[in-house]
Amino acid sequence: MNLLLTSAASSVAQLLASALGDTHKLRLTDLRAKATGEIIANDLDHGGDIDDLLEGIDAIINIGYQGQVGSEKALIDYHTRAMYNLLWSASESGVKRVINVSTLRLFENYEENLAVTEKWRSTPSSQDIELLAAHLTECVCKEFARDRMIQAVNLRFGWPFDSSDKADTARISTDLAVGAVNAALESQELIHWQDIHVQSKVENQRYLTNTAARLLPTLAEKL
Amino acid sequence: MKVLILGGNGMLGPWAVTAMKDRHDILLTDINDPYPEYQGEFLKLSVDDIDGVVDAAQGMDVIVNLSVLRPDRRLAFDVNTMGNYAMMVAAREHRIKRVINTGPHFQLVGQQYEDWDFDLNPDMPPAPGTRLYAHTKALGSEICRVFSERHGIQVLTLMYYNMKHTWNLGGPEASPTYHEDMVPFSTAWPDCGTAVRAAVEVPDERLSSNFEAFFVFPDLPHRKFNNEKTRRVLGWVPRYHVEALWNKQFRLPPSGLHEAF
Repeated sequence: MNLLLTSAASSVAQLLASALGDTHKLRLTDLRAKATGEIIANDLDHGGDIDDLLEGIDAIINIGYQGQVGSEKALIDYHTRAMYNLLWSASESGVKRVINVSTLRLFENYEENLAVTEKWRSTPSSQDIELLAAHLTECVCKEFARDRMIQAVNLRFGWPFDSSDKADTARISTDLAVGAVNAALESQELIHWQDIHVQSKVENQRYLTNTAARLLPTLAEKL
Repeated sequence: MKVLILGGNGMLGPWAVTAMKDRHDILLTDINDPYPEYQGEFLKLSVDDIDGVVDAAQGMDVIVNLSVLRPDRRLAFDVNTMGNYAMMVAAREHRIKRVINTGPHFQLVGQQYEDWDFDLNPDMPPAPGTRLYAHTKALGSEICRVFSERHGIQVLTLMYYNMKHTWNLGGPEASPTYHEDMVPFSTAWPDCGTAVRAAVEVPDERLSSNFEAFFVFPDLPHRKFNNEKTRRVLGWVPRYHVEALWNKQFRLPPSGLHEAF
């Protein structure tokens, strides 16, 4: 599959890129200020060269959380306007699916004893600008899915990655995250807007992952 | 009360100012110069200037956001989305208790509602879709919701659709057409302004939550949209009912009775 990976200079994108590169043809992109080497520079501006970026792309893997750094204004702008531009162009270019890599931290205000699933409303922070921005990107993706312009899979990953600390009850392994992205790319079971929560099977696991096990059966043994 | 108005020199601003100027102290702000007739305090300010909005909000009791920008993609996000972020940061920093936000009806009622259903009301979950104006305003509203929930700031969102002049019931972009299909969410300009005043003044105890939305239009017979909450909670009473647009007998009564006996 031909994939476009956004915020490619970020650590999350690098983790995904190194694992997905074996099975897919990856095109990496990031903002001009961050793009180096094989990463294609693109600020995702309206009227820019987003269409070129999307030529021949089957699906987008969008880093919707912690893909960018910067001021509050820069982050909100990227996670709203730039996402809108990207998805608009993707729709016009015939891209069928976007995998938005979001975070289960959007639910961290619920107490650990609660059985939180995709049916619970997220509680984004107003002061942690990365979380607010992640929430806003989810909103943008959802409206494109609502208008049937693209199919959106919203993968909310646990945190942190590859921790061995038992106190991190929402942690996730890189292997599981990569497996979830791969499975989400392949799945034929998904509706136009699909939230999926993914975290590792650990002691005192914080978030339920039954939806992932059902919709992404190749992951079921790991969940 | 001391009221900060953001984006006050657009089409709605003068009507909101007219409705409030004798009852409140207004600081009008806009990126454009004020109307020549405006006599009060004015500050040139772009709503997406976060620090500028925070500074302007110092000492205010209420912020009213009338800013809007539709056609240009960057400016639409700057004004409709980032502007709301700036406003809510300002409200948080200065512990301002109430914010009045405004926008188009379709920041909530996207086409999937409007083309299908009736009795549409402002308490439905938003479904704006991807139309630029609706989408950017809806994102701004979502920012307001998050801040409201986190910081206990009252956010009253007034939604409008089709505004009409009182003298001929024409709109800003079209001449009046009588006795034809109309937008069943049409409001006379002066009533648009008094709705802002009603939202500024409504007592706390009338609000059932800190985040409330209202459809601003008079009683219309279509039952496409529902304005009951606006009347009940805000106590807003429209003066104009734009009846010539929807009542074919309004101008020529068949009885021939033109005057009272």
